[in-house]
Amino acid sequence: MNNNIEQLQKEYQEVPIPEELDMIVSRSIQQSLKRNRNKRTKYKWFASAGTAALIFLIAINASTSVANALSSIPGVDRIIKVLTFREYIVEEPNYDANIKIPAITNMDNKALELGLNNKYLSENKALYDKFQAEMNDLKKQGGGHLGLDTDYEVKTDNDRIFSIGRYVVETVGSSSMVVTFDTIDKKNQILITLPMLFKDNQYIERISDNIKEQMKAQMKADPDKVYWLSETDDDVPPTEEFKTIAEDQSFYINSDGKLVIVFNKYDVAPGYMGSVEFVIPTEAIAGDLVSDKYIQ
Amino acid sequence: MLNRKTENLLTRCITENKENVYRLAYSYVRNKDDALDIVQDSIYKAMTHIELLKNPAAMKSWFYRIVVNTSLDFLRRNKKVDTMDHEMIETYSPGTEDVYSDMDLKRTLEDLPVKYRSVIVLRYFEDLKIEEVAEVLNENVNTIKTRLYQALQLLRVRMKDDTSKEIT
Repeated sequence: MNNNIEQLQKEYQEVPIPEELDMIVSRSIQQSLKRNRNKRTKYKWFASAGTAALIFLIAINASTSVANALSSIPGVDRIIKVLTFREYIVEEPNYDANIKIPAITNMDNKALELGLNNKYLSENKALYDKFQAEMNDLKKQGGGHLGLDTDYEVKTDNDRIFSIGRYVVETVGSSSMVVTFDTIDKKNQILITLPMLFKDNQYIERISDNIKEQMKAQMKADPDKVYWLSETDDDVPPTEEFKTIAEDQSFYINSDGKLVIVFNKYDVAPGYMGSVEFVIPTEAIAGDLVSDKYIQ
Repeated sequence: MLNRKTENLLTRCITENKENVYRLAYSYVRNKDDALDIVQDSIYKAMTHIELLKNPAAMKSWFYRIVVNTSLDFLRRNKKVDTMDHEMIETYSPGTEDVYSDMDLKRTLEDLPVKYRSVIVLRYFEDLKIEEVAEVLNENVNTIKTRLYQALQLLRVRMKDDTSKEIT
């Protein structure tokens, strides 16, 4: 037996370093630095908006007449549609959780409002409990790192449509990000689902084809972009390949009245691409739409 | 900004260790493109979650841990991990002498379950201290010692005396 660790070590050291490495490393550093800068300014903005929301919340809770007075002022009515209802924060060495729960107010359809708010509350409570359990487990095992961040963003708020997106980022060495959206028809006070917008199931194929076209075009225009499409890249593992959207794929309707399809991190592209969105041109789906009420 | 300084340190740490982490990633995925992807993903994760690094002195271990976890994630997602059942482990353990004596060394290392491969690579190839290996793999020192011992058993590597002293 001449198996020898030194020989294995030599083989390891002889793995050639590709020339792209330098470029990839410095590019990744630059991109992340840029992202960090953006994130910081965004957080600052959130912080001040958060304070404002808190004052609103206190005022509204303190007196229903304040709430009524606020909602009767034109313009203010929009601002108080969504509030940070509750925040859970864990700040311990190695363990971070920052959970923001939105609450929708001022809807005429109280059953829907209550349903959505209960959903937000129970989902976030479940995440928080899970985080606590994992944290205690890790502590028993002698420590580790854990992070949880949930937040929300109002994507669209116009006369007709209200879209709210919620983000869950879990960090355990690597991070995963899950995005979910709720879109409400303000006039009829109903929750809009994707299948409801279309006459039949044809939309799945129609939208998927359009997204594939967009992926191809984006990859052609920018070599930094990668999507898991088998037609352009033979290395794509069959399990990862993007074939079609789900029947109830995440979506929202943007302020231009366009349908936007959203994928979670890792779903259709490598992790560094993050969560990706595609705006579907209305012409591509016009024939399948039930009406042009929501999507124009 | 509080993070600015750590950010600079991390940038330097990444740049200094880029070839090491490339080899580390390569030892898991065994191909250039995937290893480069992992390096890129790891840098992105480390830089954008710098606030999770609580102890700047342990920066290198922390970054290595991200690389190891990203590699393992990748393997898991691509189902390239060969799972070993009891019979296979039996075959590899001492007692069935010479069955694999002709086997290519590289194959031998590749055939180790990842948890053993990780300790071998980090301890002997990346030359980390046992304590650092424990930090990277998020295990306690004794677990790492045991695992290293088992890994060497599996590899049936004849170690020099001075190195075996290190693990006892």
